[in-house]
Amino acid sequence: MRLRLVDTPEGASGSLNMGIDEALLGSVSRGESPPTLRLYRWTPPCVTIGYFQSLEAEVDIEACRERGVDAVRRLTGGGAVFHDDEITYSLVIPLGHELALRDSGDVLASYRSICAGLVRGLAELGAEASFEPINDIAVGGRKVSGNAQTRRRGCLLQHGTVLLGLDSELMFTLLRIPAEKLKGRAAEARSRVASLSDILGREIPYGEAAEALARGFELAWGAELVRSGFSASELAEARRLAEERFSTREWNFRR
Amino acid sequence: MKGKADLKVSGGKLLRAEVEIEAGTVLAASVDGDFFAHPEEEFEAAESELSGLPADSLGDAALALFSRPGLTIYGASPIDIAKALKEAARAAQAR
Repeated sequence: MRLRLVDTPEGASGSLNMGIDEALLGSVSRGESPPTLRLYRWTPPCVTIGYFQSLEAEVDIEACRERGVDAVRRLTGGGAVFHDDEITYSLVIPLGHELALRDSGDVLASYRSICAGLVRGLAELGAEASFEPINDIAVGGRKVSGNAQTRRRGCLLQHGTVLLGLDSELMFTLLRIPAEKLKGRAAEARSRVASLSDILGREIPYGEAAEALARGFELAWGAELVRSGFSASELAEARRLAEERFSTREWNFRR
Repeated sequence: MKGKADLKVSGGKLLRAEVEIEAGTVLAASVDGDFFAHPEEEFEAAESELSGLPADSLGDAALALFSRPGLTIYGASPIDIAKALKEAARAAQAR
């Protein structure tokens, strides 16, 4: 099984990152691009919210503006995430791809199959991680990775993060953690999330994490990753989507 | 009148329901949250079909609409969604 690997360590804005993911979904669905694994990060830092969330309810927009943090709605469900010192991946494959069909091939099974690559990659870094259904990966009971999937146009798009470092004070400043969710559990909520730096007791540079995750994906999936860049048409479509969808008030405040 | 209700469900996800009611009829109803729905558009279709229904039967109608074949929700159940909407409707009618 061969997959294209596109690693963009230079990072991009929230709207462009989401534009690239949707552009890939389109180009893979039309057969113009091969099944693709993408590794990336966020410049500037960004808060993303799930498809069904309200930006106003989940994020302190003014605090984001003051700190130069982007905010954008994802194509995928799930919760709000603060993306700063982390590595993010996205995978776009047709629903008929062998990786999408493993086990029962349903959404829950494919979370497990795809996340197995992350678990293996974390082991390469020295972290004993486990998949926590529905969509999380934890080390010692603390979440280090969240993942989200959508299925559109005959393809599966799954993206997710691995926390390398964590400024939890800033994260809790930017995200409005609802009273209902915190009922008596504020301290627990803060300690439930951990970064690899916390766990391993050393800094994990993006490049080291990217190498480890790529190796983990190859080993767990039995895949050969072929490094490449984006095509001009993929980038043009990504920029169009960033401008016309992911940076618009209509999209980001639609709920 | 608008009413809102937050409901934390088993597993930790949070539903935020909002219902607008006028003269006993649902004008608009929505459920936000950190759940997953596949396909996403089916969930939104179910939400929009709540408009125009009698407010008193919102819970039962929501249970049926969000249990529709072809819609799969992870992180919350149709029962949770119906409960959140019913509470939001109650809040709207209490105003």
